[in-house]
Amino acid sequence: MLELTGLTKKYGALTALDGVSLRVGEGEKVALLGPNGAGKTTLLSIALGLLAPDSGAARLLGRPPREALAAGRVGVLLQDAGLPDDVRVGDLVAAVAGMYPTPSILADPELEALAGRRVAGLSGGQRQLVRFALALAGDPRLLILDEPTVGLDVDARRALWRRVRDRTVVFATHYLAEADDHADRVVLLAGGRVVADGPVEEIKALVGGTEVRLTLDTMDEPGLRALPGVHDVVVEGATAVLRTGDSDATLRALFAGFGDARNVRTSGADLESAFVSLTGKGA
Amino acid sequence: MRSFLRFEVRRALSSPVNLVFLAGFPVLLYLLWTKLLDLASGPVSMVSMATYGAMGGALFIGGAIALERSGGWLRQLAVTPLPAHGYIVAKLAGGMLAVLPSVVIVLAAGALLGGVRLPPATWLALPPLIWAGVVPFAALGVAFGYSLKGQSANIAMMVVYFVTAVLGGLWLPVSRMPEGLRTLAEYSPAYQAGSLGWRALDGLPPTATSVLVLAGWTALFVLLGVWRYRSAGWR
Repeated sequence: MLELTGLTKKYGALTALDGVSLRVGEGEKVALLGPNGAGKTTLLSIALGLLAPDSGAARLLGRPPREALAAGRVGVLLQDAGLPDDVRVGDLVAAVAGMYPTPSILADPELEALAGRRVAGLSGGQRQLVRFALALAGDPRLLILDEPTVGLDVDARRALWRRVRDRTVVFATHYLAEADDHADRVVLLAGGRVVADGPVEEIKALVGGTEVRLTLDTMDEPGLRALPGVHDVVVEGATAVLRTGDSDATLRALFAGFGDARNVRTSGADLESAFVSLTGKGA
Repeated sequence: MRSFLRFEVRRALSSPVNLVFLAGFPVLLYLLWTKLLDLASGPVSMVSMATYGAMGGALFIGGAIALERSGGWLRQLAVTPLPAHGYIVAKLAGGMLAVLPSVVIVLAAGALLGGVRLPPATWLALPPLIWAGVVPFAALGVAFGYSLKGQSANIAMMVVYFVTAVLGGLWLPVSRMPEGLRTLAEYSPAYQAGSLGWRALDGLPPTATSVLVLAGWTALFVLLGVWRYRSAGWR
């Protein structure tokens, strides 16, 4: 469905993409996860033929991106796309749907309620709904969404994800929770490189979970590593940092087995700190 | 493609801004020249002002393109099956169709408010002649629309609009200009666009010079527009 090989892109001295390759097959739901500036939007822009890579190639549905878009089986929601202000929502959606070989107008009560309204008077969330309707206007085989839920409230987010359920989707996000809930595969992007690519659980183990920080008088790294839930241990002198997917089990076993554990503190491992540990530098 | 064309045509025809700008303003100027200041003859000024309004309509197709480029709508269209030239064609079709009602309104103001009386054949000939005369400005507008973004395009075009209209004798007749300026004026697209209608008032067809000058400007502006469009693409 989507095939990227060896993409590089530089903006002056800044390397936005540094040899990224990615294959997405039919039916997959892939989250492109990374902090702001990781290269997500650059990657999607190249995949869509909106931006030329310095080297490497992109193919959509087995053809060059522009051709695939012209054939009308790809739906796209861009982060920075605008809408004309002076038109009515219903006219706009109908006009765009009419460009596709398989027009499909999103059956959504909220969208229908907006049909007679002019775009100028819409809220940010309503605009995003309209943009989402435009992305679905061709009944696409492949959906490409760049930060699709920005500006949406919880209900609108849920509604949006419900509608993409049966399609192949590639979406960019900087929320681990969103990737967790709606993707079955996560591609972790940092500093223009793919630093991890795998099932959600695997990535969650890498970047998610809880950090447990403690001091031990007699350091026993293998013992800490064997605690339930722990998948990573970093030791600095008398201090150890455990990364765990199940902090309750880890702590229970810790206190049972290590009587000398002191200064135990836990904190949620956020995405940014996980990137630092994965890439060895700030993303 | 066809659905987008219909959408753009409807959009252009239903814009109240267009109507005020392309018909209301020229009608006011017409009344000013002929009724208040008594500077120009009724029929000639009516044709001049209809041409002036039509010229603005054609030129500001580019203003709409510049606004949509800066507002990101073109980025959205870039990921639809609509080809880039399909966008321009729809913009031109909508914009040029919206010019026609404004021409008719200015002519109607001439007949109803200015007391202009002409043979029916002349009334019928005027709108298509005026409309055809402003075609080069549509091409120029597109070139502008792909050179500048947002409001800066509109400001630049406002200046070009005003200067070419005055130079072309649409505000005051070329015959009142000094000799050197007059020669320059006669090769300007606005003057030749106006002359199609002015000659029609006397029952005369367009001259070969008019046709050649207008075709020349159109060709030049189309080349300019294609060049600008190529370098901008969907951006």
